Amino acid sequence: MNHEPAMAAKPMNGHSPKALLQSVFREERFFLILSVFIGVFSGLAVVCFRFAIGWCRLYLLGSGAVLSPTRLLLAPTLAGLVIAVLVIHFFPLTRGSGVNQTKAALYIYNGHIPIRTAIGKFITAALAIGSGHSLGPEDPSLQIGACLASVLGRKMRLSRDRMRLIAPVGAAAGLAAAFNAPISAVLFVIEEVIGRWTAGILGSVVLSAVSSVVVMRWFLGSESLFRIPAVQLERPSELIAYSILGVVGGLASVLFSAGIATLRPWCKALPRWTQYFQPALAGLLIGIIALLGAPQIMGAGYEAMDEAMHGRFTWQFLALLAGLKIVATLLSFVSGTPGGMFAPTLFVGAMLGAAVGGAEHVILPHLSGSPGTYALVGMGVLFAGFLRAPMTSVFMVLEVSGNYSIIVPVIVANTIAYVISRGLQPIAIFDLRTRQDGLELPSMEEQREEGILRVEDAMRPVEGPVLDAQETVDQALLKAEQSAADDLLVRLRPSGWNSVTKQQLRALAAEGKGEAAVGSLLPILHIPALHRDHPLETALRYVDRWPLVPVVSRVDFRQLEGVVSQRDVLERYREFGEG
Amino acid sequence: MIESQEDKMAGRRLEELRLYLRQQPVMLALLAVLALVFFLAVTVLSRTYHAQRDALGNRWYSRGVGDLSARRFESAVTEFRAALLYSRDNYVYQLNLAEALIGLKRTGEASAYLVNLWDRQPEDGLVNLELGRIAGQKGQTEQALRYYHNAVYAAWPGDQEVKRREARLELIEYLLSIHARAQAQSELIALEENLGEDPAQQERVGDLFLQAQDYEHALGAYHLSLRSDRHNEGALAGAGMAAFQLGRYPLAERYLQAAVAGNPGDAQSADRLKTTELVLRMDPFRRQISVAQRDRNVVAAFATAGQRIKSCGVPKGAVASQPNLADRWARMKPQISEQDLRRDPDLVEAAMDLVFGIERQTSATCATPVGTDLALLLIAKLHEGN
Repeated sequence: MNHEPAMAAKPMNGHSPKALLQSVFREERFFLILSVFIGVFSGLAVVCFRFAIGWCRLYLLGSGAVLSPTRLLLAPTLAGLVIAVLVIHFFPLTRGSGVNQTKAALYIYNGHIPIRTAIGKFITAALAIGSGHSLGPEDPSLQIGACLASVLGRKMRLSRDRMRLIAPVGAAAGLAAAFNAPISAVLFVIEEVIGRWTAGILGSVVLSAVSSVVVMRWFLGSESLFRIPAVQLERPSELIAYSILGVVGGLASVLFSAGIATLRPWCKALPRWTQYFQPALAGLLIGIIALLGAPQIMGAGYEAMDEAMHGRFTWQFLALLAGLKIVATLLSFVSGTPGGMFAPTLFVGAMLGAAVGGAEHVILPHLSGSPGTYALVGMGVLFAGFLRAPMTSVFMVLEVSGNYSIIVPVIVANTIAYVISRGLQPIAIFDLRTRQDGLELPSMEEQREEGILRVEDAMRPVEGPVLDAQETVDQALLKAEQSAADDLLVRLRPSGWNSVTKQQLRALAAEGKGEAAVGSLLPILHIPALHRDHPLETALRYVDRWPLVPVVSRVDFRQLEGVVSQRDVLERYREFGEG
Repeated sequence: MIESQEDKMAGRRLEELRLYLRQQPVMLALLAVLALVFFLAVTVLSRTYHAQRDALGNRWYSRGVGDLSARRFESAVTEFRAALLYSRDNYVYQLNLAEALIGLKRTGEASAYLVNLWDRQPEDGLVNLELGRIAGQKGQTEQALRYYHNAVYAAWPGDQEVKRREARLELIEYLLSIHARAQAQSELIALEENLGEDPAQQERVGDLFLQAQDYEHALGAYHLSLRSDRHNEGALAGAGMAAFQLGRYPLAERYLQAAVAGNPGDAQSADRLKTTELVLRMDPFRRQISVAQRDRNVVAAFATAGQRIKSCGVPKGAVASQPNLADRWARMKPQISEQDLRRDPDLVEAAMDLVFGIERQTSATCATPVGTDLALLLIAKLHEGN
């Protein structure tokens, strides 16, 4: 009765404009459309951010390639003072890079990031990078994108689930625009912020990243961050040379991470009044380093990376620049100056790569790799070793270079660096900073490497006989009585499984149904079967409803490989927790 | 009452409007409008930003060009780098930076920029030429030749033919520097066809033919050059040298005399003239001389050869089975007089054979022959096979 009006009304509603709009603007579709807008707004914001950094650099450091000593010392110092006041009094959430704040929005604050954070990040990071602090614009762009997405999500009154996901969507857009590399941005957000691949979020992240890159290229052109020199690998034996780079890069990553792990808590523990002067002091020291002959370490350093790729520096100077950049970035970062770690990481990697390549060329002049090739591979190495985003590191190099012949050296070197870094510095830099800030966010690296329990881990051999559905109740009871097991599996025909208990069989026999086939008397048609490679979580869905769940072969569903019960599953989880 | 009803109505309308605005399509439309406004604002900002950067780039570039033309390479490099800060991929800025770096002999860096430019415009003549020069300096012959050839057939701004010719001339010089004479000759012949009648160019081509040891073509080029300016001392000296190498000593003498007369400081031509005159004076087989003069020349040549062999001692490396040249000379010495030679004309041949043998042998094993010895050696070469 109740169904009829609903059935009758459905076609009418289906064609009404309102219903049509409702179906078009279902939340998941609306979320996709919104992702495009998030991309557009993030792209525009990042373009403005780049302009702001350019203007700050121009007015604070001057327009030339050679900077005056006065500006070198005063610009980062005075900018440091202004930044400290702004951060302490107006924008306290803008410290650091922004990746963790975005993760916190996802996992703690239901996607909420105050707009003030974006404004503060924009101003303070532009000032810091433009004045020469050794930080990059990528992570702030990521945070600005996430913040804009959060604001849009709130205004659009998205559900809590969508709100949680909206910050990563904006983060991908911001990062893609800053890097001019949408694939790397998407991968980074999936790898480091969200931590899982789901179709729903992936579509939104890709849409926002692509639309932001389109906007960015509209205003800033499609040129990549670096002019990539010719890349070549003539002999596979040269991979040994790149492996050495992987080792050096891994060790440098550990040094870099250890510096942050040691110095950041120390700086935070200093009296509060010192926080007003920490960025200024960092700026002054960076200015002194620049004055002493290494102005390349100031700011994001993309021009210097470009020059290193084109063989401008000797390998000794490149190695020196890598070391000094680590020092300068540590100073900027631990002093609480807002800015990103991506560009400094790439800088250190490029210099280290070109230095190792240069040194190897001195020893083995026949090596075919140019300094540019080594610099590119070096970038990936530090990305994998320091930021611990191995997949992004590979794709980033490919996307930036546009050359797939570099993939083998990149994979070899990055893997080595990652393994060394993982071995010597168990906690990844993003997790380290989260813990230093007193937060407990899920570690994507730990999640990736977490062992997964599967059905086979809890499965046990079948105890007792397996009954056939065609057998009579009496025959089945006879078999059951001879077995110690209370629960018995029933093989259905032509396929499928069911279960029956000894008590049920006795009851059926007592009811006079001893001659009837067991299969025809069971209350449910069949029970689900599992495969041994299923996650154990899947088993949890069934074991509370059926005392025994069959585990069958994927090749032949009638072939029984074992069984699991609720007790088996819980026992296995308990052992896993203890071990 | 009426007011409160109106208030209620207004409140309801406001609420309705608020609800309407909260509808997703409306919100998206508003968002689109907002994006458009933001986009336009950023467009204005972007134009200001780019205009400022372009101006700064141009300012630094102009300074760089000034310093580059004044050969202040260090400053030029700094200024071009500053210009590139504002327009990183600017082709002209990069090319000029590469030129300045080459001026500073920082060819590695220059090469990196040039390769990048080459990737963008492989048909650019100047880029190919500079890359050819750098590859040549590095000893990368194959690459150098490839770039030079590209430059010869590349697109050049301005007078393309002249630039291509200059590129080919540079290629020839490079080929000569690596002793690839045959290739250099081919390029020179190709060049000669398109050269026109510019005397300076013809003279330069003549010099290059001379270096490539293609004396016939060299003489031809000098002739063409001298047709326009017959007092061109360089061309006269070159023509003299070419004729000298071809064994055309009377012609060489004429050119060299004119060259030395025009430029008395040309020691090389003067020296060569002296040798030429000696050859002409000492050659006993010249048709224009009398028999008596011939015999006198033979006697003199025999004496010169004797002196040469004495000063050299026993030629080292002489084949043991052959009679010693000094012994042969000593045995023949009594027969060599003007009377004997007049009596026995066959003796002229025998004496000169010995003289030529001595001069050839000693030139290989003793000090380089000079003066009359050199003249005799040249006479020997002149009559080789006769």
